[in-house]
Amino acid sequence: MKNLFVAAAAAISIAASAVAVQAQDWTPPGPIKLMIAFAAGGGADTQARLIATELENRLGWEFIPEQVTGKGGVNLLNEMKDQPNDGTVIGMIVAESLGYNLYTADIGLTPENFTAITTTAGTQMGIVAGAATGWTSFEDMVAAAKGGQEIRFGVMSQRLGELAYLVGKAQGIDLNIISVKGGRAVLNGVTAGDMDVGFMAGIQAPGVKAGDLVNLASGMAKPLDQTPDAPTLPDLGVDFDGAAIFMFAGPAGMPDDARNAIASAIAEVTSDPETEVGALIARAFGGPLTIQGAELDAMVARDFAESEALIKAASE
Amino acid sequence: MDVLAYIWLGIQAVFLGPEAFSILGIPVSITVMMVLCGFLFGIVVGATPGLAGPFAMAISLPILISIFGYSPDALLPVMGFLIGIMKGATIGGAVPAILFNTPGTPDAFMTTLDGFPMAQKGQAKKALRVAHFSSASGDTFSDIVLFVCAPFLAIIVEAYLDLPEKTGLLILSLSFIAAVIGGSAGKGLISIGLGLLAVYVGTGEDFYPRLSLGADGLSRGFPITTAVLGVLIIGAVFKELEEAWRNTQRTTPVQAPVESGDQNLHWADIKRLFPFIARSAFIGTAIGALPGVGSTLAATLGYTVGRARHQKIRAADAPRFGEGAPEGIAATEAANSAVSGANLIPVLSLGIPGNAAAVFLILAAESIGGFNPGPAVFRFSPDVVNPELVIAFGLFTCMTIANLFNWTIGGVFMRSMGFMINIPKTLLLPAVLLLTLTAIYVQETRIEAIWFALGFGVLGYFMRVLGISPLPFVIAFILGRSLEETARQAYSATGNDPFFLLNNPIALIFVLMSVAVILFAGRKPKGTAP
Amino acid sequence: MTGQSRSNLYLGLFCIAFACVLMFIWIPLDTKTGIVVKARGKYNIGDGLAPTVAAVFVLLGGLLMLLERNATEQSVIRKNQLKFVASLTLVIIAGFTIMRFAGPVAVELTKLFRAEPLEYRLLRATAGWKHIGFILGGTFMISGLIAVVERKLTRRAILTGIIAVLVLIAAFDLPFDDLLLPPNGDV
Repeated sequence: MKNLFVAAAAAISIAASAVAVQAQDWTPPGPIKLMIAFAAGGGADTQARLIATELENRLGWEFIPEQVTGKGGVNLLNEMKDQPNDGTVIGMIVAESLGYNLYTADIGLTPENFTAITTTAGTQMGIVAGAATGWTSFEDMVAAAKGGQEIRFGVMSQRLGELAYLVGKAQGIDLNIISVKGGRAVLNGVTAGDMDVGFMAGIQAPGVKAGDLVNLASGMAKPLDQTPDAPTLPDLGVDFDGAAIFMFAGPAGMPDDARNAIASAIAEVTSDPETEVGALIARAFGGPLTIQGAELDAMVARDFAESEALIKAASE
Repeated sequence: MDVLAYIWLGIQAVFLGPEAFSILGIPVSITVMMVLCGFLFGIVVGATPGLAGPFAMAISLPILISIFGYSPDALLPVMGFLIGIMKGATIGGAVPAILFNTPGTPDAFMTTLDGFPMAQKGQAKKALRVAHFSSASGDTFSDIVLFVCAPFLAIIVEAYLDLPEKTGLLILSLSFIAAVIGGSAGKGLISIGLGLLAVYVGTGEDFYPRLSLGADGLSRGFPITTAVLGVLIIGAVFKELEEAWRNTQRTTPVQAPVESGDQNLHWADIKRLFPFIARSAFIGTAIGALPGVGSTLAATLGYTVGRARHQKIRAADAPRFGEGAPEGIAATEAANSAVSGANLIPVLSLGIPGNAAAVFLILAAESIGGFNPGPAVFRFSPDVVNPELVIAFGLFTCMTIANLFNWTIGGVFMRSMGFMINIPKTLLLPAVLLLTLTAIYVQETRIEAIWFALGFGVLGYFMRVLGISPLPFVIAFILGRSLEETARQAYSATGNDPFFLLNNPIALIFVLMSVAVILFAGRKPKGTAP
Repeated sequence: MTGQSRSNLYLGLFCIAFACVLMFIWIPLDTKTGIVVKARGKYNIGDGLAPTVAAVFVLLGGLLMLLERNATEQSVIRKNQLKFVASLTLVIIAGFTIMRFAGPVAVELTKLFRAEPLEYRLLRATAGWKHIGFILGGTFMISGLIAVVERKLTRRAILTGIIAVLVLIAAFDLPFDDLLLPPNGDV
């Protein structure tokens, strides 16, 4: 019944929408398996599922979402590598999965084993402290550390752990880096006082607004939208970027028509603030970020290659 | 936002959520409907010998998640349904126990002792009424204790326990569970150890999936559903099938006993039963609040205490305990029903599940996302609404609604369930098995999950044969990850202090208590597993 | 020692041996970071520590079982229980194997008579095709299990299988587009 309804809705939207006509050059030969590297219920998972629902409604494509979590997306990549590359299997990961995580996992895979399709959104990665610490700027934290206070720094991925270490090293302070699973755990830890400060990828915005949390610094190479005056990572002496970028990828050798059709279809819904997913991205991830084609390939390759430098810097 | 505002938000989340339909213009929310459906389903399952609450929870969870999706909006309807099952199964279990001398759920065994003699004397309906009244009273009392205690305990934990102490608390919980559940401390420790081992396969901090033997299938670890459903459900089905296989001959349909005389529960009866109910409700609640101590122990204790009291005050012509005394039913049912609410105290305040029902609530929360039972839930943040706290009060509201259903329609519905005894186990259980495996597949969508579940099922079967309780295994599987993560965090937080457990006084006390609990339980091997 | 069961003793010895294999062979060989690992200039907890704790639990349990070796009423695993559970497991494995391959085999057979190209993977969400494996395998499994328990294959058993499978399809498949019945997530 629902199928019929979806088909009817799709027929109407195909007739009405010019976008759909464009994407019609390619239609998936069967249902699309959508692997999701994030735990169910979180913002990233919701984003993936909403994109799928919106594409089902607009184009009549059929998606079958599946959670393949763990190891920062490496589990998903490992599972996806041997799947058919005709566009019927795609996965949602972060750029870090194909970069630092795949490099560090050292399982004989490189970005060459995959087809990068499109990015959807970046994150507003910040270095965030609880208001209870009394710090209002990054210097306050450095001063506290130099005054002998032990500082607990929460991170939610190994790469961010390296960045936190580099920040500490550049500032000449010792940080107790606590790694937890998922961005919400950092938020909970900082709010509960188990940690003093941590990386948060946008989840901090309401708390910062209410005054419970403070953006001490940007965790990216660019300033935060919410607190533009806070220093960036390069300002703090670290020449890397902590931004997490959500993206879709498929197995290697995906034909161009499939890759482009999927990429433009996804970009169409993520950049439309009228859609549910577009609204989510505007609200929680600081607006859409669409990088595709050769530019995306270059970005992924650069991230992967840069990982060696990051690991080297962090092991010194 | 103060406490009252949060409670109000929780109540609103239940009643003003998406509506199922409306009666005379008053919308009825889906959550309320789900609590009702779960409650009725729970009574049916509880009244079916060979099935119990956990079965019903296991098989309905994936269907519920498919209906409501993976969004925080799904939490209350899904968990409300599970809470309904939990409460329904508790009273349903008394039906076959009283009518046919066959306990529908393990904790209803003590109910047979006086319930069946009463039924044989023609007082089946009355016995069922006593059971229902006592069960509903015990349950309600226990819930009230939960509502009051859980938030306070959580706030205390959050305020006074830092990461090293939380690690110590997890170790203490696991040791305590090993010591109290299962045939003996040794068997409990084995069960815990195997559960921990299973959850550590394929996981870990490093990108290499540890203990995976290089196999791709193991590199993602064992999904939690395969371990929990495998050991708890499939293992139990195997055991039940084995028992059915050993007595294949006995398949004659059972007849309900004839009734005679006054079947009503009068005010005088209630006054006479009330002291027994109150005492047992208190015992059940106190026992339920400890993680891992099951309702079977509560029922046994409630019954024993009740018997001692009854012997002193019994009128000369009244039946003794074991000969059809309503007080016996009351003492048992109030005690085992009082466990279920209090059992959620450690889950909601510490994130430590103490029984199978709590395990499934955690499983639901974990599958849906957006709610992580534990002390962080009860953070009364003043400016930004803490959505998890709203859910927690929503759950309390669901429990209250379930109690209202229990008091109003539970008794009638329960008394109509006598026919469930005639459903043949040999046909039902294989179907339940396929249902469970299908449910696992639907969530995991890979055939390895079926093999894992089957393997865990065989393990669960042999554990049952050897008298090793599978519950510590499951609890360890659930707590294993947070044990490792908390320990790592505590280690990093203390500036890489390898002795963080010993350098913090409270953590040290927890560790010493763990050792003491194991030594104490190890000295005198106990009787049978619950 | 009297003539009573020695199963506690055997269970204890088995657990001790298993824990030793874990601690000294499996964990060291099959974790990359060991018990402690040096990272970012400090010693950190490695991936081997937590499984070692698990092994210690099993070891302690095994030692306690040795202390309980003279306990009364020790349960034993009887040979016919082994046989019984093995036959249940075999029926389930056979059922799921049928489930996995019945659909693709049906597609291959159809291809013999039809010119157009067919692929089971692309049909896995198409009504009819996607049910072949589940119906055949599921019915086999349920009726097979009932037959093992009742020691004879009856029409009632097969009927139960068919009904249960249809009920499951009605519960999981008809209402939900997103759900995949076995084996359709693997093909």
